[in-house]
Amino acid sequence: MGRLVLVRRDQVLQGGQPLAFLIGIFSALLIGILLLAVSGHDALAVYERMFDASIGSSKAWSLTLNRAVPLGLAGLAVAVAGRMGLWNIGAEGQILAGAMMAAWVARIGESWPSPLLITVMLLAAVLGGALLGLGPAVARAQIGVNEIITTLMLNEVALRMLQWLIHGPWKDPESRGFPLAPILPEGARLPGLFQQAHWGAVIALLVIILFGLVASRTAWGYELRVAGSSGATALYAGISLKRKILTVLVLSGGIAGLAGGIELSGSSDRIVEGISGGYGFAGIIVAALALMRPSGVAAVALLFGAVQVGGLSIQTMGVSSSVSTILQALILFGAIGAGVFSRYSVKRVSKENQEVQ
Amino acid sequence: MSEASMIGLLSAAVSFGALLYLAALGELISEKAGILNLGVEGMMAVGAVTGFMVALETENAWVALLAAMLVGALFALIHGFFTVVLGAEQVVSGLSLTILGLGASAFVGKNAVGKPSGAVLASVDWGPLSDIPWAGPILFSQSPLVYFAILAGLAAAFVLTRTSTGLALRGAGESASTVDAAGHSVVRLRLGAIATGGALAGASGAYLTLSLTPQWTEGVTAGRGWIAVALVIFGAWRPGRCAVGALLFGGLLALKSRLQTFGVDLSPILLSMIPYLLTIGVLIVISIRARHRPSSAPAALGQAYRREER
Repeated sequence: MGRLVLVRRDQVLQGGQPLAFLIGIFSALLIGILLLAVSGHDALAVYERMFDASIGSSKAWSLTLNRAVPLGLAGLAVAVAGRMGLWNIGAEGQILAGAMMAAWVARIGESWPSPLLITVMLLAAVLGGALLGLGPAVARAQIGVNEIITTLMLNEVALRMLQWLIHGPWKDPESRGFPLAPILPEGARLPGLFQQAHWGAVIALLVIILFGLVASRTAWGYELRVAGSSGATALYAGISLKRKILTVLVLSGGIAGLAGGIELSGSSDRIVEGISGGYGFAGIIVAALALMRPSGVAAVALLFGAVQVGGLSIQTMGVSSSVSTILQALILFGAIGAGVFSRYSVKRVSKENQEVQ
Repeated sequence: MSEASMIGLLSAAVSFGALLYLAALGELISEKAGILNLGVEGMMAVGAVTGFMVALETENAWVALLAAMLVGALFALIHGFFTVVLGAEQVVSGLSLTILGLGASAFVGKNAVGKPSGAVLASVDWGPLSDIPWAGPILFSQSPLVYFAILAGLAAAFVLTRTSTGLALRGAGESASTVDAAGHSVVRLRLGAIATGGALAGASGAYLTLSLTPQWTEGVTAGRGWIAVALVIFGAWRPGRCAVGALLFGGLLALKSRLQTFGVDLSPILLSMIPYLLTIGVLIVISIRARHRPSSAPAALGQAYRREER
């Protein structure tokens, strides 16, 4: 007899993470079946509807793609900081800041030609997110203030700001008392791609590829990884940590802000309270599942987009759309659990011999 | 401003303050043991729905409260399993717990939306004490959970500073290997702290659905879990200071719906930004001070501990 301990493998198992990810999906679906069955639903019919609505047709794919865009950009935002060992928990608020800035541009530039207006809107969105990231960035770089808490707190501040705008100065006079901003002018909307999908998907993909190249092919990307794995090594190598922290957190905020601008211009058409809908928090899960790799972010975002679209589709069957929320969290927990075994093996330690074999 | 409305404000401040304090105290205990749990919002939601559903079923508010605390503790142990046993990233696991909790509570409570409550925790009647002007309505006619929060705070302060368990628990948050070498189980200490935190967050959630607004609506926690996380920092990881912060933040929540009665021309929405901005301010002050003297934050907060890698 003895107890079980986890022992670090000499080498991480090849293909461990994709496998862990698949196990995560599989175990989440399995628990989902139990949950649905216990609450009296036909689990397989529910899943069939979810698949059908999210990947069953070109229209379904377009809806999935539209959701994958903010998820992917929020995931990338988290990953950019995560590669350096920093946590940007503020993507949720930065998305709102981006959307608010873009909406503000749309208000003043109503008469501009559409391509110009949309471009300025998206740039303003980047700026908005970056500005919200700037505070935590400076505080972390200069004084060492924990960025997890500051970015988290600013989410709530940005949300209140948005609520204030749609209850007050930006409230649509024709909204019959509902807290909504007016619908964007036609020229402020991103053009369509196919079915419901808009050009945001192309923009998001380009941004993800661009960062992927920068991260893997440039000295800057290399320094980022060095700084992330060991601050001391980075110092010896002459890498300025302060400047890196500052750039990375501001960049991260800007990418999340872009997600907000695209969501406004492409999908939402107006500022409403739920315009982010938890994309920022889901982005953290996306980035974690992707191990902070840009290519992984794109893949996981697509999956989560499909799960979310599927979740919305089952409401007509009398099933709560929260099933998709539950599935997303379960996928992560399943993948963390499985992922441990690509880095660790289980060994039995006997009572007499406490030394690990 | 009339006396009655002032008393109403202070009474609501105590009530909201206790709600925030329960959850914040749980997070404080968890963080003292070195575990950051960003799942507070989710644990509160789970506690809120459990409390409401069990009250519907049993029509006994006390059973409902106990169930909410138990389920809160078990739910928190998911975070415990992944972060303490498997050594997963605490930020990611905690946020996933929030997402899971919000989703699960919405799923479970779907058919309870709009139903009248099965049982409520009635305000405690302290007899003649409740009739004292000012102090009576403000302090002596509150929900039982207010007094529970006060007792829990005193108990936590005592255990953390005056007992060997508390010392070991704080040790697990400062230097886990030292506590391990002294013969304590870091895993058990941390899991215990997380479960206690979950139970208190569960109680805070149940406060919402058994006392404050006895009904179930999706998203009933409305971001109060994040205020609880903020309170721990605002209170510099001390139960006493957290209590002061809870009264202050609770007062701001209470003021929000009363601004117009007081004739103040300020958007209540902007007012509700204050707790978060204050917390950022406090965190900056703590960080500046930490350059000259030991920080008040637990040194090993957020770090996984693996015995064979020490």
